[in-house]
Amino acid sequence: MNKDYKFVDQAIEELLPKVKEAGLDTVWDRFKSMQPQCGFGELGICCRICWKGPCRIDPFGNGSQRGICGADAHTIVARNLIRGIAAGAAAHSDHGRHIALTLLEVAEGHAPAYCIKDEKKLMSVAARLGLSTEGKNVRQVAKEVALATLEDFSRQNSSIPCSWARQTMTAERAEKLTALGVMPHNIDAVVAGIMNRTHVGCDADPVNLLLGGLKGALADYTGMYLSTELSDVIFGTPEPVITTANLGVLKEDAVNIAVHGHNPLLSEIICDVAGSMDEEARQAGAKEGINIVGVCCTGNEVMARRGIPLATNYLSQEMAVLTGAVDAMVVDVQCIMPSLGVLQECYHTQLITTMATNKIPGAVHVEFTEKTALEDARRVVELAIEAYKRRDKNKINIPQYKETAIVGFSAEAVFAALSKLNKEDPLKPLLDNIVNGNIQGVALFAGCSTTRVAQDHNFVTIARELARHNVLLLATGCGAGAFAKLGLMTQEATEAYAGDSLKAVLTAVGEAAGLNGPLPLVLHMGSCVDNTRAVTVATALANKLGVDLDKLPVVASAPEAMSEKAVAIGTWAVTLGIPTHLGIIPQVTGSSLVTEVLTDKLKDLVGGYFIVETDPLRAAGKLYEVIRERRKALGI
Amino acid sequence: MAKIKENSFIYADPQKCLGCKNCGLACALAHAGCDLQTAVAGKRQLQPRNSVVKAGDMFMPIQCRQCEDAPCAQACPTGAIRQEDGLVKINEQNCVGCKVCSMVCPFGAIVVTPVPNAEPNRKTKRGKALKCDLCFSSVRKDGQLTCACVEACPTQAVMLVDPEGYRTKILEARAKELAKAHSVAKQKRA
Ligand code: SF4
Ligand code: SF4
Ligand code: SF4
Ligand code: SF4
Repeated sequence: MNKDYKFVDQAIEELLPKVKEAGLDTVWDRFKSMQPQCGFGELGICCRICWKGPCRIDPFGNGSQRGICGADAHTIVARNLIRGIAAGAAAHSDHGRHIALTLLEVAEGHAPAYCIKDEKKLMSVAARLGLSTEGKNVRQVAKEVALATLEDFSRQNSSIPCSWARQTMTAERAEKLTALGVMPHNIDAVVAGIMNRTHVGCDADPVNLLLGGLKGALADYTGMYLSTELSDVIFGTPEPVITTANLGVLKEDAVNIAVHGHNPLLSEIICDVAGSMDEEARQAGAKEGINIVGVCCTGNEVMARRGIPLATNYLSQEMAVLTGAVDAMVVDVQCIMPSLGVLQECYHTQLITTMATNKIPGAVHVEFTEKTALEDARRVVELAIEAYKRRDKNKINIPQYKETAIVGFSAEAVFAALSKLNKEDPLKPLLDNIVNGNIQGVALFAGCSTTRVAQDHNFVTIARELARHNVLLLATGCGAGAFAKLGLMTQEATEAYAGDSLKAVLTAVGEAAGLNGPLPLVLHMGSCVDNTRAVTVATALANKLGVDLDKLPVVASAPEAMSEKAVAIGTWAVTLGIPTHLGIIPQVTGSSLVTEVLTDKLKDLVGGYFIVETDPLRAAGKLYEVIRERRKALGI
Repeated sequence: MAKIKENSFIYADPQKCLGCKNCGLACALAHAGCDLQTAVAGKRQLQPRNSVVKAGDMFMPIQCRQCEDAPCAQACPTGAIRQEDGLVKINEQNCVGCKVCSMVCPFGAIVVTPVPNAEPNRKTKRGKALKCDLCFSSVRKDGQLTCACVEACPTQAVMLVDPEGYRTKILEARAKELAKAHSVAKQKRA
């Protein structure tokens, strides 16, 4: 274990020495043994697109300055970057497609495990998509919504933008992006388009490639937006709920089932059936029955909707297994470390893969389908109970750390809380407080955790600093996981870290919403696919103010980003006009041109741009500076 | 009289080298005194002191062997090259960039090139002889030399060879084999 590596999360710190005693490797050991990492890769100037390659550019100007085909550093970096965006868009939108298809099956009566939990949301989604609901029953509306959504995956007329993109941003923004030629008309076609134009011998103009990247990022946005909204229709829109987070949520006397990944389709049903199987768990000797906990974003999904406690976030997923108390780790898609399969050799934890396209050596595969969801979920719980019987008591080591977390702040929940202050015009109190400076601006924290920085440290440091300056904080994904684990989604955190005027606003809203105290310091908006919830709030604010998104004092930060999905999210945030901070150095610096476009030139084009700053305190300073600048431009 | 120690030198095992050139990046950076991102952002033109060469289907980085009777030092008309601190050192101040050393080096280990970031003008190109200097200015806390290429190689192909230690290891290994053979022979006889 790397000695210099610091952990903000005490649960990890406590568990790690035990892991070492057992002679096991964790993500941090593998990171250490991977050092030094390849300099060409770090700069993004290695190309493996064709088999004449690999080619790499000498960043110091002496050796090769062009690949064998003639591509220079700018072309290579731009191609690599937008391929990442395409992969991110594919991941999010396939998730979204799965949800949309499930909605269609619900409408057609082929998915008995599911129903429409939030009819109100269904109706508002239908209205948003321009569908008339008059005289139609819920199922008919659901079917029309599903089919209209699926059109965003199949439309061939490239002059008609994706509905889920067009209808969810300000009209001005949509026009601007259409004029730039970056509005997607069909998510799949845009992803395929990126793969096409980056094939050997195609698009070599770095700026043109980057514009293709913006379009790919907006395709990602479209897929994310529809995914979140339709998940709400099927599973309910999150409302504030009090729960707990960190490894201490595991129970020694329960069958612990960790749900991990991103897609709520199976985990929701597992939660449904687990209650009815509690008795079986007790018979197997687990006095406390079944305890479901979340990891990563599947964890965030069930936490926001059901108050299921969160065990940990992405980077420390192995830690959950290493407590020796997780009986089954049920995974769906994305961000699942293959090392979980290896850990099973030493721990009794049953790793269960559930999706045909996501299998892991060492796991048991229970193939999940919507039609058989109930049986699949039961099978998973049975496997967990069987695994419980194989537990080795000597290996149990649950660090006793957990924090309260008030979560579930969907856009609807935020508006609902605000409506307690002003029923006719819920946005007014928020807007007034932004205008009068009680709230200086809004910052959205998104993205992953990574070995490149001490886990969670950047999130916590930047958040505290911005809160002190009265910036309203929102979070999703593994950023939200970090805040939940570390006690920043509590009322106490608001008392401790919020600046006076922010504290007053959070208290007024919290009291009115019946929380007997302030809202938590950081509002948990859901999993990483739910970043669009923040856009819902921002767009409502922009429309109310009568300005475009790039004028708002709103910033985003992905201080510990690592996945291709994060690359896509960051890029659409920028494309929507939101300055976005990265706390790690992106793999593009081998091209001065691409770096300049991303961090500067984009500002003229779309209003948003990337701010790269690895020092969290300085990053907070820069973000606050942007907020001040934008306030000044608005004359507030 | 104190025994004269042989110079240590860098050697790379062609069986392990994948030709990734990371040793070259690391070498160039080590002599620039800054990190990769800073160097690239500042558009600094850096020069590695080794060259990764392909021979047949094998790769290996080639760099100065720190010769005991160095032809480069013999040839240098300005006396810029000399034995010092256990290596063959080039004193850049004295070097005029005549390239004699690079011509006589049997390994092609010397490049004469403008010193990174020195501004050439109409009078001078500011070319100086550069070669592997075992990163002599970067000594670890425990007094050991740390060579950038050794640390950078992902397959651990590069090593800093201390000839005496290297020879001792070979001697001991062979001695063990021989001793074993002898004792077997003895037992057979008995
Ligand atoms: S596409 Fe061009 S730069 Fe890339 S590997 Fe092939 S020849 Fe090299
Ligand atoms: S530069 Fe060449 S000749 Fe001079 S010491 Fe090194 S290997 Fe020998
Ligand atoms: S190039 Fe410099 S070091 Fe080499 S022989 Fe000429 S003066 Fe000497
Ligand atoms: S770093 Fe190692 S593997 Fe790469 S070129 Fe140098 S010696 Fe070869």
